[in-house]
Amino acid sequence: MTEKYYLGIDIGSSSSKAVIIDGDAKIVGEKIINLGTGSRGPAEVILGAFEQAGITEVSKTVATGYGRIQFKDADKQMTEISCHAKGVKHLVPTAQTVIDIGGQDAKVIRIAPDGKVDNFVMNDKCAAGTGRFLEVMARVLDVKISELSDLAEKGQSGVTISSTCTVFAESETISQLSGGSKIEDIALGSHKSIAEKIVGLAGRVGLVDDIVMSGGVALNASVVKAVEEATGHKIIRVPDPQGAGALGAALYARDLDK
Amino acid sequence: MGELNKNNINELVAIAQNPKESVAKAINDTGKKAVGCFPIYTPDEAIYALGLLPVGMWGGPVKGNLADKYLQTFCCSIMKANTEQALLGDYDLLSAVLVTSFCDTLKCIIEDWKVAVPYLHIVPIVYPQNRKTPSGRAYLKAEIERVSAQLEQVVGRKPYTEADLSAAVDLYDEYRAASQDFVKAVSEKPGLLTASERHNVIKAAYFMDKADYTPKLKAITEEIKKADAPDAKNLTKVVVSGIINEPDGLLDIFDETGFTIVGDDLAQETRQFRTIAPKVGTGIERMVERIALQDGCAFLYDDKKLRGQMIIDLVKKTGADAVFFNQLKFCDPEEFDWPIIKKELEAAKIPTLYIETEQQMDSFEQTRTRLQAFAEII
Repeated sequence: MTEKYYLGIDIGSSSSKAVIIDGDAKIVGEKIINLGTGSRGPAEVILGAFEQAGITEVSKTVATGYGRIQFKDADKQMTEISCHAKGVKHLVPTAQTVIDIGGQDAKVIRIAPDGKVDNFVMNDKCAAGTGRFLEVMARVLDVKISELSDLAEKGQSGVTISSTCTVFAESETISQLSGGSKIEDIALGSHKSIAEKIVGLAGRVGLVDDIVMSGGVALNASVVKAVEEATGHKIIRVPDPQGAGALGAALYARDLDK
Repeated sequence: MGELNKNNINELVAIAQNPKESVAKAINDTGKKAVGCFPIYTPDEAIYALGLLPVGMWGGPVKGNLADKYLQTFCCSIMKANTEQALLGDYDLLSAVLVTSFCDTLKCIIEDWKVAVPYLHIVPIVYPQNRKTPSGRAYLKAEIERVSAQLEQVVGRKPYTEADLSAAVDLYDEYRAASQDFVKAVSEKPGLLTASERHNVIKAAYFMDKADYTPKLKAITEEIKKADAPDAKNLTKVVVSGIINEPDGLLDIFDETGFTIVGDDLAQETRQFRTIAPKVGTGIERMVERIALQDGCAFLYDDKKLRGQMIIDLVKKTGADAVFFNQLKFCDPEEFDWPIIKKELEAAKIPTLYIETEQQMDSFEQTRTRLQAFAEII
């Protein structure tokens, strides 16, 4: 009998992720590119995942993420909320809360014991508390976004960034730089700012252990630590936080075949 | 039974979607002068009894920056839209504007408008918060009489007679009863009307003479009753609460994600017609009594906090699966109600989605994700 494969593609605002699993939910192909919806990113990650898996076709495809509506080759499209919950639950079966921070969305998702999404809350249009906020901070501090975490680890107290708006926070940061604040402390302050936004969101649905962080921002260890300190809860970070949504989509694709 | 002919529905939808043209037509058709009425409640019957045409002023999708001179960024979008439209001259066809004082923004906007649009005759009206007490009732009666007298002067009208006012109250109660029948008929055939059609049929009432609107609405209700019920097994029935459920782009997402509205607690919709006063007393006494009896509204003091239970009752009555709470951004009175309602809905185990919207929003991706995720959950 021919092995069946399932593709999940998560087309975000700033990156594209593709995961291919086999019938036993084992990941056989995965590709992530920092190009999001409307770019060549989706096509490239699919090609990359197929190459890694060494296959030429899949049985079913589920698309998720901001660009899911525009992706026409899927058998079904589902929200990243359901897909991140599904992916995280698969990786961490004890998870009851998911904090998913992507390029322009931040979400707190509560998972019921049966694995279904129980409740969720997401940020509004404002980019504060999202990956976009970190991109702005990195640009102002003249560092790569991947360097922010190590930079913040060297911070002592963290400069308070009080603005609720990313644009205002940028101005505030420039003022802090002008006033002589160290960039390490500003980096740490920006991470604490994200953590505070998460606390505000989580207050609406509640945080129940085990709590797992997914999404690209979870790659930043300093943000994860700041969220732990702000919430008073231990945060589990999945090995591949960016791919959790695509994995969930692939698992949903597998469900379509049942 | 048969397929629903939507000609009458489409006519009212077009009226609701083109307010300025619709009001101009109503002025032309009736020969009446129009009086703009701010949210949430105004003494429309008294305005009508003066031979005038009350017109709803519930904002719109207008964008611009003229209103920024008077209102801060984080301000109710209905007030911003009304002010923007006033400054654009869209209200030139109104002979007076009644401005209420149900929230802090409204309280301040009265003075703003006197300065910003001096050509419009601004008539303030203050409803009592303690509307059930004898003194509250006496105050509201006096306030309606004062406003009526001011309108007589501003627009140049003779005082209405008791017969005029009683007839106007009868007409408005007929409109309210017809509206109740309409939403009931829609709720009994989920999926027959789109969310946008349901909303705009109700909204058209704001831009028409009730003597013209009510027969059209009754005809639509009869057509709905005679139409085949669509297959609704894949639809999720919802009750919507909040001030307004706009713009149309948002309503389209309801349909796209498989939600059908079977009831509402919206200030712009059902709250306008769900309370009908007993037919006892003079016209003005019936108007006062109706406001005294109106419960479950964020803008009217409610010491018993009945709104949550009223929404739960509506969910049970309509067989709804879930509740949408559409929080119009920066509306304090609605925000104050939400935590109480949320607690009660959770206790009743009714799935609830809270969304924040603005009338001027034109990007719906995040809202789509919220609605779709909610559909995936329930």
